[in-house]
Amino acid sequence: MLLKKNWQEKRTLFTFLLPAILILLVSQAYPILYSLSISFRQWALAESLKPKGFVGFNNYIKAFKDPIFLNAIRISFVFCIVATSFEIILGFIIAYFTVGENFFLRLSRTILILPMVIAPVANGTIWRMMLNSQSGLINQLLRFIGIQGPNWLGAPGSALFSVIAIDIWQWTPFAMVVFLAGFSIIPNELYDAAKVDGAGRLKTLRYIIIPYIIPIGFIVLLFRLVDTLLVIDAIYTTTFGGPGFSTNVITLFIYWQALRYFNISYASATSWILSIFTLLIALSLMRFQKRVQTKMWGA
Amino acid sequence: MLKVRISYFNLLRFLIVFFAVLTVLVPFCYLFLNSIKLERDFRTIPPKLIPSEITFEYYREAFSKSGKISNYLMNSVLVTSAVVLISVFIGSLAAYSLSRFRKVYRFFSLIVYVILLVRFYPKVVMIIPYFILMKNLMLLDRLLAVIIAHVSIGMPFVVWLMIGFFDEIPKELEESGMIDGCGPWKRFIKIILPVTLPGIATAAIMTAILSWNEFLIASSVVSVNAKTLPILISGYISDKGINWGPMSAVSSVVILPMFLFALFTQKYLVRGLTFGAVKG
Repeated sequence: MLLKKNWQEKRTLFTFLLPAILILLVSQAYPILYSLSISFRQWALAESLKPKGFVGFNNYIKAFKDPIFLNAIRISFVFCIVATSFEIILGFIIAYFTVGENFFLRLSRTILILPMVIAPVANGTIWRMMLNSQSGLINQLLRFIGIQGPNWLGAPGSALFSVIAIDIWQWTPFAMVVFLAGFSIIPNELYDAAKVDGAGRLKTLRYIIIPYIIPIGFIVLLFRLVDTLLVIDAIYTTTFGGPGFSTNVITLFIYWQALRYFNISYASATSWILSIFTLLIALSLMRFQKRVQTKMWGA
Repeated sequence: MLKVRISYFNLLRFLIVFFAVLTVLVPFCYLFLNSIKLERDFRTIPPKLIPSEITFEYYREAFSKSGKISNYLMNSVLVTSAVVLISVFIGSLAAYSLSRFRKVYRFFSLIVYVILLVRFYPKVVMIIPYFILMKNLMLLDRLLAVIIAHVSIGMPFVVWLMIGFFDEIPKELEESGMIDGCGPWKRFIKIILPVTLPGIATAAIMTAILSWNEFLIASSVVSVNAKTLPILISGYISDKGINWGPMSAVSSVVILPMFLFALFTQKYLVRGLTFGAVKG
């Protein structure tokens, strides 16, 4: 190829790449490796200003014996699985019904995207007001039909459910947008063939659209599983992990350890447990998605 | 028979879409109404939904000298603009280079893969090392610290997005530039960039949203002066009493620019959101 022999071209292209690599090394690789090294040492700011000696896997072992951390894992799992399932199902349904090119459908699509572009922090404040037990809109509406609504964010029983609902509200549009893009690449011949065979709407949905869209579903699954596992902003602004530890997801647990208790090494170790876990999920889902896609759509 | 079935479908469609749109719009309207409501309307039982009198007091207060929102708004604008410029410039150069290199050397595909992983690991890992790094560089509570943090998240995204656009450029276009004797720089600016402008726009929009909304890392390196708007909002949370008016006003200020973005650049936005998910 042209590039192989052309040294000057290669050198210039390399200088194009250099700034990006430098930035990534300083602002990503260095912090990540630094936190890895701290996770094997003993360091709490309450005891000393500098990291102390090497303690091996102690911080990691401590994490798996810490009931609060184990509880955080459980809550993260519930959050992640419930939120992701609802987002995929609702996103698919809404996308299916908003396909089309008339004015109202286009307008609806524009409106439906909005929750996704606002700051998760602002999303949190909106829902803090909506779900307020005394004067929030939700409970006002419930009172209107004669039901006394619970203290959504303030009671341990409903807080987790509420923060999950907030996540669903903000991120179902993401699933919708990706599914809409998926619908647009279904070949028209498939629809025509379905029509020739006399398939109605339901049959077309069942035998054409859903099988074709499954690889897209896996992409949504990948992004939402990872992102819900890493959720923090919206919970930070609504319950801050409470009441008790009922919404204390892993990321918030780490945040507490790092920036409230200053257990630096422990926070690093737990964040590495989370990293490894999310990367495993992301990598395996990426591979799986590719396999499904090749199987469904051909190479 | 067929006619009846179609109209059932449309009825169902209408109900579902209507309900979804309502679910999205009501909280936003509620927020906005709260930001123009008088204090006493919050205190009645039950609180008044529709303001008895419209007030822009909270906005005025927020933008007054003591409210300081102007400073934070300025911070947010500065950070976001800097992050967009730097990420898009450096990111697309790198993407162009990677797109060319990886067609010849497989090793560069690995780099692309590693860059992609930045999207998938918990940002909470970064907060401590990042805090220490910025402390050592004496950048704590400076805008530059926030800018570097956001570039380090935004730029990999730009690379990932732009590689797709550069890959689609036909080889002939590049070669015709070579024959005319253009060096890589000149070719990049004169030939490649104009073709990929939609990609650049998409990248810029996505980076702007990311930087404008980012809270976690910014909050860990900022204490007083370099606060951005999302950090200001989170500050209202610790207040126990009803402080809804000011909180709603500030939240509206944060949300509005992104709304306008979404409305006017929808085409690019959707492309950015689905890119990597669905090609084309």
